Amino acid sequence: MRKVATILIMLMALFASRAEARLNVVCSYPWITDLTAKVGGERVKALSLSQGNWNPHLVVPRPSLIGKARDADLLIMNGAQLEIGWLPPIVRESRNPRIQQGLNGLLDISSSVTLIEVPIAVSRAGGDVHPDGNPHYALDPHNIAPIAAAIASRLALLDPEGAAVYEAKLLAFRTDWNKRLAGLDTRFAALRGVKVVSYHTLFNYLARRYGMILVGTIEPFPGIPPTSRHIESLIGRSRAEGLELVLQDVYNPSKPARMLAEKTGARLVVLPHDIGAVPEAKDLYALFETIAGRLGR
Amino acid sequence: MKNIYFAITIICAYGLAHAQEPAYKSATERRRNTYNEPISAPFAQGKFVPDISLIADFSVAGRDIGDERYASVEVPGLIHTHGHDEHGHEYAALNAKNGFNFNYAELSLYSVVDPYFDLFATFHIGEDSFEVEEAFFTTRSLPLGLQLKAGKFLSSFGRINEQHSHYWDFANQPLVYKAFLGDHGLLEKGIRATFLAPIPFYLLIGGEVLSGENEASFGTEGFEDVTKTNAVEDAIGPELYTGYIKTSFDLGNFVVLMGGSVACGTTRINHGVDEVTNGGHAINGNTSIIGGDLTLKYLIDSYRYISLQSEYLYRVFDGDEYDNQGAKAELEKKQSGLYTQLILRFGQRWRAGFRYDLINKNEIKVGGADTDLPENLVRYTSMLEFDPSEFARIRLQYGHDRSSYLYEGEKKKVNNELLLQVNMAIGAHGAHSF
Repeated sequence: MRKVATILIMLMALFASRAEARLNVVCSYPWITDLTAKVGGERVKALSLSQGNWNPHLVVPRPSLIGKARDADLLIMNGAQLEIGWLPPIVRESRNPRIQQGLNGLLDISSSVTLIEVPIAVSRAGGDVHPDGNPHYALDPHNIAPIAAAIASRLALLDPEGAAVYEAKLLAFRTDWNKRLAGLDTRFAALRGVKVVSYHTLFNYLARRYGMILVGTIEPFPGIPPTSRHIESLIGRSRAEGLELVLQDVYNPSKPARMLAEKTGARLVVLPHDIGAVPEAKDLYALFETIAGRLGR
Repeated sequence: MKNIYFAITIICAYGLAHAQEPAYKSATERRRNTYNEPISAPFAQGKFVPDISLIADFSVAGRDIGDERYASVEVPGLIHTHGHDEHGHEYAALNAKNGFNFNYAELSLYSVVDPYFDLFATFHIGEDSFEVEEAFFTTRSLPLGLQLKAGKFLSSFGRINEQHSHYWDFANQPLVYKAFLGDHGLLEKGIRATFLAPIPFYLLIGGEVLSGENEASFGTEGFEDVTKTNAVEDAIGPELYTGYIKTSFDLGNFVVLMGGSVACGTTRINHGVDEVTNGGHAINGNTSIIGGDLTLKYLIDSYRYISLQSEYLYRVFDGDEYDNQGAKAELEKKQSGLYTQLILRFGQRWRAGFRYDLINKNEIKVGGADTDLPENLVRYTSMLEFDPSEFARIRLQYGHDRSSYLYEGEKKKVNNELLLQVNMAIGAHGAHSF
């Protein structure tokens, strides 16, 4: 009898500890998913629609993503038209009345940060341009806290009972993040004035935050692969400017970057742009740690 | 000394600021004569402009045969041209002429209507035609994974039927599609309901009620032969029903998509039964088409994939055939075909593909007697594509068609075809389809 009671109590304890998540959240990219999990804790089940080691512009809209979006209470997206080529049909096909444009179930976090490189005039003569500005703002560590706050308020709006929990989680996260941020700022301070080239305009927010000078990009235009002529002129310019670092992402071909580094004596650094881009970038903290470590700071 | 300069500066600045001010008699006069009145546009609607895009398609074609003969190529029991267009489709078939073709410009508009509906419209603009290709609305807010769609739209039957031609991996449609559903596919007026199942993988169940006005398999218009012996009434519409189930799951970066579809409807097709021309005839009965499709796609990385896509269609017709002299006979058709295509995207801007088309069954019985029509008709197509950017495509395609017979005469003709197709899109950023 006592055995049965013990087993029952243990079972009850097991179920009680496995509190049911109140909100089903899908996010367009892994870093958003991780941030949502950090702010939402147990009350939120966060799921990513893409993987962090592939080109964020070109996520394949597999039908399984439609199934993932079907039951979401909230869809959190990067915005600034980074998902324009793959997310709209998923939202439409999801048959989910909560996450359609203009509703509380769709959160575009780009509105919580100040976008850079907003074009005055938009023309695809300049490649696949983003009319709202550069969408890769996640790589400025100073942008993370305001985004966390935006996510927390949206979670609280959709799940008012958990408002206090989200508030506490957000406070804990921000305290922690600010400590790390101070460390990152110190480590990145030495990058001021360093001349860099990247494949795509992926690291511009990081470069701008810490005063790195962008000599150019390996892509002649966003979304257009490099030609040998463009590389030649970039080599010339890099030599003249005294290029120090070539920043390469994990999803674009690295041959042109290797060649540029070889010809100019600059150091080639492969940087993750999202969680999972390289194995050690396991979460948001590790992502920026890895970037700082790889930049040798 | 410094202070003096400062004072002078201030005075000068004040003087400059007021130098232009005329001597107004009163404040009212000044207000009345202010000429930098801000202009507002309280009725401007610019913010509500829908997503607009224009896709244009051009080609250069080179064939073994002239344009006239190409237009009258037939596949016995399957593709029947009679030398004239059916159903008043104004615009020409794709790549119809040797030499330069302007295939179409497709204008698409999309916007949210209100919290409940989305509206889509696509206009197909030919050299001297303007047609509503699609115009339909979909619901945005139905619960339980349900969605309704209504208007004029491409049916979701099969895998590629609902794709516009610029989504195809080749410059022309598969042979079995052209044979069973005609040049424009199953493009109908009607209503569609779909249900997305609440399970961890993708399972979509859908059904459509359509008017049934397909040039190759379905039709509703009655007819009467020249001698007035036999007459068939108009069918009173909706005369076509479709149902389908589609499912998909991932195994890592390997994506599987499968579907099964069925379409059943009334068939009333008149090929000049009311004209004195030689060979005028018509059919009346019911057609069912069953389709199965399978797509396997392995995503190698952000820019490369390999995909295998195949569809099999089986068509059954049961009814009567009439000629223009008052004769009538029982007609039965059992036909099937498939296509299989392998596509390799081997670089950010490069794709190559091969397609195999086959009509493997072509059994037609008139009055119970077999007509011994040719079977196992094949066509091979290969293509190489260069996409300068996401918004432009240049495709070279070679087709070797062993399925066609020339009209007026049972002579089989192999048709070799070389196409250079250019397709471009401007305006709203289209999304990639799977």
